[in-house]
Amino acid sequence: MEQSQSLAATSRMPTGIAGFDEVADGGLPRGAVTVVLGGVGTGKTTFGMQVLAKGALEHNEPGILVAFEESAGRVVANTSGFVWGGEALKDRGVHAIDAQLSQWVEQSGEFDLIGLLAIVAAKAKEVGGRRVVFDGIDVLLSCLGDAASIRREAFRLRDWVNQSGLSAIVTAKADHWGQASATDFDFLEFMADCVVTLHNRVVQGIALRFVRVAKYRGAANSGNEFPLVITTAGLEIAANATLRLSYPVSADRVSSGVERLDSMLTGGYYRGSSILITGVPGTAKTSLSAAFAEGAARRGQRTLYVSFDEAPEQVVRNVASIGLQLAPHIEDGTLVLKSLRGRAASPEAHVAQIRAFLAETEPQHLVVDPLSALFQHGFDQVSEGAALQILDVAKSRGVTMIFTSLLASSTGLAEQTPINISAIADTWIHVANVNQGGERNRTLTIVKSRGTAHSNQVRELVLTNEGITLADVYSVGGEVLLGTLRWEKEIADQRAREGERNDAIVLKQRAELALAETRFELTTLAQRRAIQEEELAQLQKRTTAEVDTRVDEDQERLQRRSADPTDSPSAVADQGVDPDPTGPQ
Amino acid sequence: MNDDEKDVLRLRLYVAGDAPNSVVAVAHLRSVIEECASGRADVEIVDILRDPERGLRDGVFVTPMLVKFEPLPERRVLGSLGDRRFLLAVLGLNETPGE
Repeated sequence: MEQSQSLAATSRMPTGIAGFDEVADGGLPRGAVTVVLGGVGTGKTTFGMQVLAKGALEHNEPGILVAFEESAGRVVANTSGFVWGGEALKDRGVHAIDAQLSQWVEQSGEFDLIGLLAIVAAKAKEVGGRRVVFDGIDVLLSCLGDAASIRREAFRLRDWVNQSGLSAIVTAKADHWGQASATDFDFLEFMADCVVTLHNRVVQGIALRFVRVAKYRGAANSGNEFPLVITTAGLEIAANATLRLSYPVSADRVSSGVERLDSMLTGGYYRGSSILITGVPGTAKTSLSAAFAEGAARRGQRTLYVSFDEAPEQVVRNVASIGLQLAPHIEDGTLVLKSLRGRAASPEAHVAQIRAFLAETEPQHLVVDPLSALFQHGFDQVSEGAALQILDVAKSRGVTMIFTSLLASSTGLAEQTPINISAIADTWIHVANVNQGGERNRTLTIVKSRGTAHSNQVRELVLTNEGITLADVYSVGGEVLLGTLRWEKEIADQRAREGERNDAIVLKQRAELALAETRFELTTLAQRRAIQEEELAQLQKRTTAEVDTRVDEDQERLQRRSADPTDSPSAVADQGVDPDPTGPQ
Repeated sequence: MNDDEKDVLRLRLYVAGDAPNSVVAVAHLRSVIEECASGRADVEIVDILRDPERGLRDGVFVTPMLVKFEPLPERRVLGSLGDRRFLLAVLGLNETPGE
C-alpha cells in the first residue's frame, strides 16, 4: 500500500503552476506525454516554459525546449516578465533547441521525427535532461500533410518519450474546436496520457482564462474547468474562494497611525486582522491607509501598498501634503508601493498578482486601495470571490490588511458597500462628508471592531499638514457640530468654563472662610470650655477649703475652751460635728 | 549551356539512419545525380542518428533534409524527394534526353 503510494507520488511531475497540481492528481505524468491544447494567446508556451523553469530551478530537473513555432531565443526572452524567467534560464538548466523550420525550407515528399528525436535524446543525455517541451508541434506536424502521417509521427513521439524516460509536454494550437483544422489533431488527445486544455473567454470585454484537465489516464480526474491567471509569478490557478475558518490569531495590536484612533480602538488594530475603510471619494480613505503604512514603516514593519488606478508617485505626492513622507520608506524597502490598473485585467488576475506581490515582498501589512476596484466590471460573483481570496491570502499569512471601499454616494452605507466583505472585515471604519454651516467636514465612525472595546462615538477627522488627527464632536440638540461650528462651540465652552472657574474661586474662598470661622469658633469654644472647667475646679476647691477652715476654727475654739472645759455647753453640741474623738475628753 | 554543365553541385543530405523516408530520399537523390549530374556532384550524407551534434550545430532537426549549397542560391528541401521534376528544378538540372 505504502509502496504503491510512493510510486504514485514519484510518477507525478510537479508543474510549479500554483494550484494546478492539486487539480491534476499531484502533477503531470512522468515518463509520459502531456498534450497542452489551446488557442492563440491562451498561455500554452508559458505553461510549458514554467514547467521547465520550475523543474530546473526548484527540482533540479534540467529541461529542454524544442521550439517549432517561434525561435527558441524568442520563447526564452518572452519569459523575462516572470520571476522565474528570462535569459538566465539558459544557464540554469533550461536548454533550448531551435527547431523552427525556416520559411525558406521547401518540402517534397514525406519526412519524419526520427532525426529530431535523436537530436533531443542526445541533448538530454548531454545535459541530464528530465523534462522536454515540444512547443507548437502542430506547426511541424501540419507539414506532414495527411492525417495518417500525422498520426504515425505522433505515436512515434509518444513511444520515444515512453522509452526515453523523459516527461514531455507537447503544445499545439486548437483554435476552432469542432472545425476541420482541429480534427486532424484529435489523435494528439488520443495518444497522450494527459490532456490539458487552455482557453480564453471574453466576458463583458474582459478576457478570462480557464484551464481544464480534459484527460488523465490512470487518474481520477474531475474534468472541471478552473480559472487561470497570468501574473509575474507565471500561470496560477485562481482557487475557488474557500475561506478558511482558522487563521493565525494574534492579540498583538498594531497602531492605526492615528493616535486618537488607537485610543478609540483601545490600542489599535489587531495584528493579522482585516480593516475595511468605507467612504465616498475625498473622505481621506487613502490618507488613513497611508498613515497606517507610514506608521508601520517607521516601526520597521514592511507594508505592501497596492494602489488601484493611481500611480505610486501620485500617492506619495498626495499624502505628502498631510505630512506623510512615504518616499524614504519606499527607498529603504519598508514600504512597497505597487500600482495596478483596475480594468486592465480580470478580478482573478488581480488577486493572483497581489498574491504574487505578497510572496515577493513578504510584508507584515497589506493595504489595498481601493478593493472596490475589483468591482468595476460588475461580475458580482467573480469580483466578490476575488475580494474574499485577497482577504483569505492575507489572513492565512497573518498579514494585517487594510482595504478601502469606494461608495458611490454618501447615502445607504450598508446597501452601497459593494460586497459583503464588510461582514467579514474585523474592523469597519466609515468616513463621511458632512455639510454644515457652508462647510464640508469629515467624520469618522467605527462601525464595528471585533474583540475591541471600541468607542461608538463619531469623531471629526481633521487633516493638517502635520498629519491626521481626530477631534471630539459636539452635538447640540441631537446635531453633531463640525468644523467652524465646532470651533465656535469650543470657544463658547471655554468662556463658560472660565466663568465657572472664577465662580469657583470665590466659592472656594468662601468655603475656606467658613471653615476658618468654624475653626475659630471651635478654638473659642474650646477656650471657653477650658475656662469654665477651671472655674468649676476653683469652685470645687473653694467649697472643700471652707469646711476645713471651720473645723480648725472650732478646735481653736475648743482649745480656748479647754481652759475651762466644764463650763462649755456648746462643747456638747459641738461633739456631734467634731469627728475627733479625742476632742471632748 | 556549357557553363551550366560545368557547375559543381555541392549538396548535403541529412538522414536518420535507415528510417524509411531517409532511405527513400537517398535513393531519389542518388538516381537524379547519377542520371543528370554524373561526376559533377559533391554529395555529403549526414546521419543524425550517428552524429546528432552535427544536426544541432547545423540547425537541422527534421529528416530527411536536403541542402544545396552550390550553385547559389542555397536551397533546403524537406522530405523524401519523391517529386523528381521538383528535385531537378531545385538542383538546376535538366532531364537527360534519353540514354
